[in-house]
Amino acid sequence: MDILIEVKNLQYAYETKNNKKVLRNINAQMEQGRMYAILGPSGCGKTTLLSLLGGLDSPTGGQVLYQGTDIEETGLAKHRRRNVAFIFQSYNLIDYLTPIENVALTSKRPALPVLEKLGLTAEEAGRNVLKLSGGQQQRVAIARALASEAPIILADEPTGNLDEDTAAEITAILKEAAHSLGKCVIVVTHSNDLARQADIIMRLRKGDLQIVDGSEINGSIGK
Amino acid sequence: MNLWKRALLYTMRKKGKTGILFLVLFVMSTFVLTGLSIRSAAGQSAGELRQSVGGSIKLIRDEEKSQNWTYEQGIGGTMIGYTGTPITDNEIEKIMQVEGIQSYNGIGYGSVYARDFSFISGIQFSAGSDYSSLPSVTYSESFNYFRRKAFQLVQGRHIIPEDDHVVLISTALAEKNGLKLGDTITVQCANDAGGYPDVTLKIIGIYKSTIEEGQFNTTSTDKRNRLIIDHRAMKEIMQTDTIQYDNGVEFFVDDPKEIERITAEIQKLDLDWGCFKLTVDNSAYEAVSSSLTAMESMVTGLIIGIAAVSAGVLALILHMWIRQRVRETGILLSVGVSKSGIILQHIVETMVIALAAFGLSYFSGSLIAQGTSDLLFAQAAESQPDIELEIPDDGREYLDLTGEYIPYDTTEMVSPKNIEVQVTQNHLFLVYVMGMCIVMLSVTLASRSVLKMKPRNILSQMS
Repeated sequence: MDILIEVKNLQYAYETKNNKKVLRNINAQMEQGRMYAILGPSGCGKTTLLSLLGGLDSPTGGQVLYQGTDIEETGLAKHRRRNVAFIFQSYNLIDYLTPIENVALTSKRPALPVLEKLGLTAEEAGRNVLKLSGGQQQRVAIARALASEAPIILADEPTGNLDEDTAAEITAILKEAAHSLGKCVIVVTHSNDLARQADIIMRLRKGDLQIVDGSEINGSIGK
Repeated sequence: MNLWKRALLYTMRKKGKTGILFLVLFVMSTFVLTGLSIRSAAGQSAGELRQSVGGSIKLIRDEEKSQNWTYEQGIGGTMIGYTGTPITDNEIEKIMQVEGIQSYNGIGYGSVYARDFSFISGIQFSAGSDYSSLPSVTYSESFNYFRRKAFQLVQGRHIIPEDDHVVLISTALAEKNGLKLGDTITVQCANDAGGYPDVTLKIIGIYKSTIEEGQFNTTSTDKRNRLIIDHRAMKEIMQTDTIQYDNGVEFFVDDPKEIERITAEIQKLDLDWGCFKLTVDNSAYEAVSSSLTAMESMVTGLIIGIAAVSAGVLALILHMWIRQRVRETGILLSVGVSKSGIILQHIVETMVIALAAFGLSYFSGSLIAQGTSDLLFAQAAESQPDIELEIPDDGREYLDLTGEYIPYDTTEMVSPKNIEVQVTQNHLFLVYVMGMCIVMLSVTLASRSVLKMKPRNILSQMS
């Protein structure tokens, strides 16, 4: 499979007195059509890594390459617009837009079929997003990511605010996005259930990223 | 979804904010529009007032220089005569080329006996016939008596350069002698040398003098006896071949504000400055200009104040609101919208509201402008001190032929009242331009703090 995104010697340190390093020389490659789960304790730098992959921030050292080109060269805004789509724990929908309009933020294609495929009715798709349940809002966020033509989906705790059943449904949707639509789905999560569904599981600890075997994951490893 | 659609949807869906912003912009533009229209009207009115009070530059013979005089010993004493260069049409022609000069009035001088009518008698110091001094003029309407409203034409018409042997007389003289328009009177030069012919003049106008006559007037100093004639008649009376403007030529300027520049330009002309000099009469303008300037600067200050306060209020409101939109900013950044695109969206949202608010303020501005203007001008008139005209240092050059200062009628020199204020499309255009600049500045300033942050920091603030 094609390598979509790659990190080389990636470093990140917070701009504090002692420049605390959260990522140290990380090297990784992610391919299209796969779902990756990144596990790790709170504050280990999972969200930071996701931000760097998504071009929301710049590394203090090393490179993020998209199809071999440094995203700094492409331009971070352009990288965000063309190559990646985000899904957040808190859904992050624009509150004055309907689900259809939120999806239209990233795509010119009709939004309703995507929303319907994710289980929203036409009536729900035309409502204000704040009048939807948490699960429905996350479906809209996923629809927004899927509708965009971005080959990479970056999801930060996508099931964190959802009940078990809904979380399972969302996980299945993300997995399908990787396997059926050929997207490269990278999920940062605390949920072992979600991580177990991933094709590749990585653990971030003390600034290093390592691939782990699914069997190593038990009830507490993510926490 | 492009920024225009996002901006439009935001404006339509956030009705409360849109309403508040509309109200702020509407009030702001109404005040600015009102101020602009009042300022225009005040400016226009000031211009008209300046033109009505006028200003003039007088070219006169320099009689202070002794080389311009000759002294001859004759029978009965020493005779003196001006031998310097006379002021003729040649000088007038050159000066009229200077930009900003509207018209001129050449003034000749003579004194005559009445042959077939009687002057109103004054105190007589010696025996003999009564005589009166008289001016000849190019345009009687511009003659200083008429300009200063000391004389007012009540019948007939004024003297123009084409006139030949015509006269304007006072109502008092007409009444005393039973004279009317179209009648003729005969005069003779009152020069001691004698031998001057009788000259007949046709009455083409009758004026009323508003000057209160003193008790000790001689026949000659009594303004009611003033005969105002044309230059051709004066040539025959004085038996000269060319018109000599012995009493100087007054040049009237379009705008008294320009009088210093015009004077300087005249002084550069090739004239015999050894024999001539210029005197400037700007006293009426000086007297009213301070109140006009005060009015204009008050309104200008008001507009600037309103614009500044409005910009401040607008920036404050937008700053608060844009900070509240940090989540939306983060989301838009995460889907790849650039920072400039986000600022532009905020600008478009405010501009859409501003377009409607400014447009509507055309009507509200029109409604309140006249009332506000009346109030302001009434207040200005109350606080305005009485106009006091000072006689300029060289005032003697503006004295009556017989040495008396001609009074001004100052009743029309007060600040204009009840001026007509109109909100025009130009004012509206100016409000749009000013308003849009303020909106852009306010939005950019308000957005600055949020957009200085990294997208990741915005998103972490969100969570």
